Amino acid sequence: MEAVEVEEITRVFEPRRRSGTRVVALDDVSLTVPTGEIHGLLGPNGAGKTTLVKILSTVLLPTSGKARVLGHDVVAETEAVRPLIGIVFGGERGLYWRLSGRQNLEYWGALYKLSTRAAKARAQQLLERVGMVDKADERVEEYSRGMKQRLHLARGLMGDGKVLFLDEPTTGMDPLAAREFRTLIGELRDEGRTILLATHDMVEAEMVCDRVTLIDRGKVIATESPRTLGHVLSRFQRIDVEGVPRAVLDEIRAIHGVTSVTAVDGAGTRIEVDEEGATQLVLEQLVNAGATSVRTSLPSLEEVYVQLIGERGMEI
Amino acid sequence: MGGFLAGFRLELQVVRANPDALIPLLTAPLFAVIFLAIVRQSGRSDLEPDALMAPVLMSLWWIALVQAGSMITADRWQAVLEPLIASPTGLASVLVGRVACLMCVGLLSFFEVWLAGWLIFGVSIPFEHPLQLAMTLLATAFAMTGTAVAFAALFVMTRNAYTFINSASFPFYVLGGVLVPVAFLPDWIEPVSSVLFLSWSADLLRASLKEPAVDDFWGRLGMVLVLGAITFAIGRAVLFHVLRRMRARGELATA
Amino acid sequence: MATTLNVMRHAFHAGLADYRAIFTWRSWLAGWYVRVLFQVGFFALIGERLGDDEKTSYLLIGNAMLIAGQLGVFSLNMTSAERWTGTLPLLVASPSSPVLVFSARGAYLAVDGALSALAALFVAGAIFGIDLPWPRVLAVIPVTLVIALASYGFGTFLAGVVFRFRSINSLVVVTTYVSLMAACGVNVPLSYYPEPLELLSRFLPLTNGLLAIRGVFDGSPAGEIVGNAALEMAVGFGWMTAALLSFNRLASRGRRDGSLDYGA
Repeated sequence: MEAVEVEEITRVFEPRRRSGTRVVALDDVSLTVPTGEIHGLLGPNGAGKTTLVKILSTVLLPTSGKARVLGHDVVAETEAVRPLIGIVFGGERGLYWRLSGRQNLEYWGALYKLSTRAAKARAQQLLERVGMVDKADERVEEYSRGMKQRLHLARGLMGDGKVLFLDEPTTGMDPLAAREFRTLIGELRDEGRTILLATHDMVEAEMVCDRVTLIDRGKVIATESPRTLGHVLSRFQRIDVEGVPRAVLDEIRAIHGVTSVTAVDGAGTRIEVDEEGATQLVLEQLVNAGATSVRTSLPSLEEVYVQLIGERGMEI
Repeated sequence: MGGFLAGFRLELQVVRANPDALIPLLTAPLFAVIFLAIVRQSGRSDLEPDALMAPVLMSLWWIALVQAGSMITADRWQAVLEPLIASPTGLASVLVGRVACLMCVGLLSFFEVWLAGWLIFGVSIPFEHPLQLAMTLLATAFAMTGTAVAFAALFVMTRNAYTFINSASFPFYVLGGVLVPVAFLPDWIEPVSSVLFLSWSADLLRASLKEPAVDDFWGRLGMVLVLGAITFAIGRAVLFHVLRRMRARGELATA
Repeated sequence: MATTLNVMRHAFHAGLADYRAIFTWRSWLAGWYVRVLFQVGFFALIGERLGDDEKTSYLLIGNAMLIAGQLGVFSLNMTSAERWTGTLPLLVASPSSPVLVFSARGAYLAVDGALSALAALFVAGAIFGIDLPWPRVLAVIPVTLVIALASYGFGTFLAGVVFRFRSINSLVVVTTYVSLMAACGVNVPLSYYPEPLELLSRFLPLTNGLLAIRGVFDGSPAGEIVGNAALEMAVGFGWMTAALLSFNRLASRGRRDGSLDYGA
């Protein structure tokens, strides 16, 4: 039995007013997540990731199609599904601000049918796990964004769910906290849980997930291993540099794998490559030429998509 | 049962942190003083029970309408509604638990008005029919809870909460005979008032504080309970429908 | 002078725009006026219960005028104090009278208060068969407006007091107007109060204005009516001035300790 099975799920949002537009948030989406996998759902904002997560967590009905979590239909068998899942939606809200972190957790424990004692114990355990024990008894409204995110994770685990849905859980977290978070997700997988992680952060998807489904405008583009993703990312890097003489730039243009060297108004030059290893050659050249203002950046998600789709000859 | 207790405990914690919860507990003694002053100044001490019970009903109704009424909407704004729906426990029992807690807090107003009356006006009304008084209060709290559930569901559907709250407060105090018994209202209002449990509760509360034996106590208490139960049933049905619609439309969270 | 009037005009329009965002005619009627009528009726009915026509009249008039006071107190909610602390130093520094300019901003509330109160008075009055002595009764119109403005000044002062504790806004609003209901001779004559309370109530909005209104109905001498109305105006000015002074202090203290930050 798979942990998550999505069969041709479509979700349409009808306009509420005559002037509104009809939005197809998900279009015939199919996907399978085996038990014990960390599966990434990667896509830009508005791609439909959150919509899919909401359908799977039973808070949104699909327009058509079927979905099952641990064998139970998410529409017809919500009572069977709900005790088995955990949800981490994150964000500034999602918690009672005037209560303490601990009080919030114990409330959710009660909702997941834990006895008072069990809820207290598990709340303490999870607070320790996410590193929030010191602040546990302060009001949530006093928490920083990162602390709230950690509490969201703890809350999502109160039900001890076998399948966890995480929607952009590291947004707003500082890099250190985000790294700890990812380690934690790995631990959860090792405990036998299945995790569906919705994110727009390619680096995160590449680092954490076992497989990644790319989704855009409601459609599945591809399901890839993170390694493929990683290759694409490192292939299509760009280098921004300032104050490099024309001669050096000409030499760089001649390097195999460099696709373009363009001047950017008032901000130096942008060098684009399309081969792994080309970046390193370019950087070596620049450093030898004495350039000090050098910056590399990754392609955007859209650009990655275009590359992948182009390679497959698929239409969006 | 679990949901009810979870909700009850949650609301205890919420109330402690929320100053607005005090509003009905501050207005009740104030209204008691106002009403007592009117009846005393007119030399009508026999109406003191009326003056005392009205603020209690007004406070309980206000709690049902404003505090309980806005619960789902507030949860939705706070983004805790969606995860609640996704949990195995679900909204209805938690809501009832939370409302029940608020009603318990609201019943404190009963003691407040007596205290205010005694301290300021030296009012001392003997408890003529204490058991019946207690039972009426409990039945009223039950019916109020049902009404609160209905309000919470309607509130979510409403566009303008302000209009809703305003049109459901004083109009109901009048139509429900909360201070001035329905018998003193124009005849054509009577059918409307008689389907409101408020009017039955108000009459019973007043009667249980006055000397003569309460006429047809069980019948009238029954009306409070039945009307309360009907309101409860309607409330639950509306709630179910509203939640289902929100789930279908993806409105369990605000954008 | 011209600048003052100009600023006042702009301030008034700004307030009105705010207001229009909340209310349409329909929502005002269904959502507010209905409540007002029933609130006044609730108390007038007590007179019916007591079988005393004079009492009915007394309660109706008192509670109708309370509406003007009630809306003035609402200014606590609708006019967040921190907006004022921004414009206030400018006002105080200007050559025009800050009190006048300031009142113009929230004037829409006072206008609504007066309108609601008068609409309640005349409609409920008709329903309950109250004697409305024409044309003398028209004198209540300006007095009602004075009451509404005085309450607005009072509400503005309170806004400054609770500025730092926004979470108790609603609590203060409701408790205040119910207290006005209790303390300003709305439901029982001032003579019924213990003397200290009677004295205190004279410093609150509504009390003196209400005496003027009752004077119009009772046929009291014009001097008495005008005197009470003037007292009401003075009370209003007093609270508004107190508000301005306290805001000024709030603003300077706030700039020092950073409490003007709305984010909290």
